Amino acid sequence: MRAVRASLLFVLLMAAVTACAGGGRPVDLATVSSVDRPRPVGAEENPAPPSTSAAPAPACDPTASFRPQGALPPPGQMPANTTMKAIQDAGQLIAGVDQNTFLFGFRNPTTNALEGFDIDRVREIAKAIFGDPNKVQFKVVTSAGRIKALTDGEVHVVVRTMTATCERWKDINFSAIYYTAGQRILVDRTSKIANLDQLGGQKVCAAKGSTSIKTISDHAAKLIPVQVDNWSDCLIMLQQGQVAAVSTDDTILSGMVAQDPNVKMAGPRFTQEPYGIGIPKANVDMVSFVNGVLAKSIADGSWAASYDQWLGRTGEQRPAPPTPVYQD
Amino acid sequence: MVTTSAPDAGTAPGTRKVLSVPATAARRVRKSAQSTPGRLFVVGVGLVVLALVTGVVGALAMQQKQSTIDNLIEHREPVAAASQQIYRSLSDADATAASAFLAGGTPPAALRDRYELDIATAGANLAEASADVGGVVAAERQVNELAKQLPVYTGLVETARAYNRQGYPSGAAYLREASGLMRAKILPAAQELYRIDFERLAAEQDAAGSFPWFTLALVLVLLGALVAAQRYLLRRTNRLLNVGLVVATGAVVVGLIWGSAALLIESSRVSDGHEHGTSQVEVIVQARIVALKMRANETLTLVARGDGAEYEAEFKELTKELTGRSDENLLVRAQGLSATQETTDLLAAAQKNADDWLTAHNRVRELDDGGSYQEAVSLAISTDAKTSAATMFTMLDDNLLKALNHGRQKFVEETSGASNVMTGLVPGVALLALLAAAGVTMGIRDRLREYR
Repeated sequence: MRAVRASLLFVLLMAAVTACAGGGRPVDLATVSSVDRPRPVGAEENPAPPSTSAAPAPACDPTASFRPQGALPPPGQMPANTTMKAIQDAGQLIAGVDQNTFLFGFRNPTTNALEGFDIDRVREIAKAIFGDPNKVQFKVVTSAGRIKALTDGEVHVVVRTMTATCERWKDINFSAIYYTAGQRILVDRTSKIANLDQLGGQKVCAAKGSTSIKTISDHAAKLIPVQVDNWSDCLIMLQQGQVAAVSTDDTILSGMVAQDPNVKMAGPRFTQEPYGIGIPKANVDMVSFVNGVLAKSIADGSWAASYDQWLGRTGEQRPAPPTPVYQD
Repeated sequence: MVTTSAPDAGTAPGTRKVLSVPATAARRVRKSAQSTPGRLFVVGVGLVVLALVTGVVGALAMQQKQSTIDNLIEHREPVAAASQQIYRSLSDADATAASAFLAGGTPPAALRDRYELDIATAGANLAEASADVGGVVAAERQVNELAKQLPVYTGLVETARAYNRQGYPSGAAYLREASGLMRAKILPAAQELYRIDFERLAAEQDAAGSFPWFTLALVLVLLGALVAAQRYLLRRTNRLLNVGLVVATGAVVVGLIWGSAALLIESSRVSDGHEHGTSQVEVIVQARIVALKMRANETLTLVARGDGAEYEAEFKELTKELTGRSDENLLVRAQGLSATQETTDLLAAAQKNADDWLTAHNRVRELDDGGSYQEAVSLAISTDAKTSAATMFTMLDDNLLKALNHGRQKFVEETSGASNVMTGLVPGVALLALLAAAGVTMGIRDRLREYR
């Protein structure tokens, strides 16, 4: 009898357990709560600051270059034993440029050709040496790779929205200034932000190795710098909502505005960025020659024509060409 | 705990009777086994049970083997092929997008078609591969990654296309981002998925080729028991032959020989299918992946326009896996696994294409480094020129695809051969076991009659 009662109890208990277990939940086979956003190759958030050389650069006037030596030699007849003669003999000028910065140095996707204000400067130099503006081999360099391309002798000149600074003068030479830009910020058209102070704790994009990324990293408002290889990567990160703003030279930013009317430049210029043509330290004769070419292009109006063709479409008033400053 | 040996006083009489049945039966068997007829009865029952158990186990093992083999052909290998197709299509899509970009202007319709076909093929094969991952966590993770990132990739490529058509350099930036996503996340996931699927295929091939040792042991025990029973009868009754037991023994021997022979042939054909089929396919697939990576690097070097040293370095690093005469060369290794002259010829042709491609590539680099960018681009991407890098790469890929299909064909032939060898084995084993059981019953019954 005891066994029967015990088994009855057991059966009842089992039935009760089964009944309770009946209250299940719907099963979700896939729950996705966050997305891995694609990023431009090489994009880095909060990069370690580059190891700055022990000695700070001596104070200098970075805009002062070497004076042209007399009149330019006729094209195709470069004086013997000069850098220009060596280039003439090699058959082409090798220029480090950009292919991603609209209006300055960019690849026209329709024709595959490189175009822009910087590219025009390269062609003027080629024309002065060979009499033919097309005797150029373009080599694309990143902002961070500019100095190295020159010190390694991979290129004869770098024309790539490059700011002349005393720090850079230690490693390379600069031509006279051919354009003066200034750093500003680029934000969404609807954004109320007008200066870097308002961007504290937010991500701001600039190219690796540029003066702009340094300004952002050093800013007191504790911005989160995001560095990329190419300027156009900054534009797409802004479009994709991955950064709050882009901050660099207004010239580069106006190229971005021209590609996307939904972004705008905000606030005033807060730095001066004088652009020079980078030339290897040893080739002082080349610097004087290039300065002669620049002076000529300013004098004969080709500088202005080039400005109108490229930067004219940003709608800004064409400034007077920069007055060359020489060290002597 | 209720025990049968000592029912307590409180238990009802009916219950006690039921509970004591096994004990009573055991006692009876023990008692009857002390007499010769009783012992014969026990031997007979034991042999019949053993024959039936062996029959069931054997038939199930054969059934299992048959379905493993059929699963190889119908499921496992097609899934592995699908996941290699995913890798191939995605990698080709990326290289094609880069070529279309390099072409400039409105990209040629052929390149657009190729890209679209690649994406559609990858999507369809991904659906097939994802239906199969059940239970394999690592495979599921790769399929998830692919399913999540592929739409993102295509979105970026279309954005790039829209900007390119407007003439803006941000198109190039979107294309770089897309390509970066493909190379950093999508292709590694596809490669891992392929590796896992191929491993699963190889594991099932091993299972299909393995010998069912447990069944064999059971058959040998049965055979031994039959022989022992006949020796016992010989001693007891002095009769040399017991027809029933001889028939039973004969049935077991036939089953043993048939089963062993079939399984040995099956195993050798499955392993032929592995060696000359799937192993070779795997090497060819690797060669194809290397070629695709090299092609992507070749085009991306040109897209970078002077800033692509790392792509060219990777290309150079990979060349030794497609050219050269050493064992590092995947094409040489694949040739070593060839089963037919046709495959060997295809691989030799592929080798020639690879060498010609390398020559064309070096010329492309020479032109680009020498400043003739446009000429370099057209030599790299033109499909009209007979000696262009694009033509050579396409021929190489075609020949590899043909060789790969030969390998797959060889696998199917060998494995279906293995399956055919197994034909009739399941009902055969069952019938032979029944025959053995019947023989035992008859043989023992004849002897038992003599004691009445």
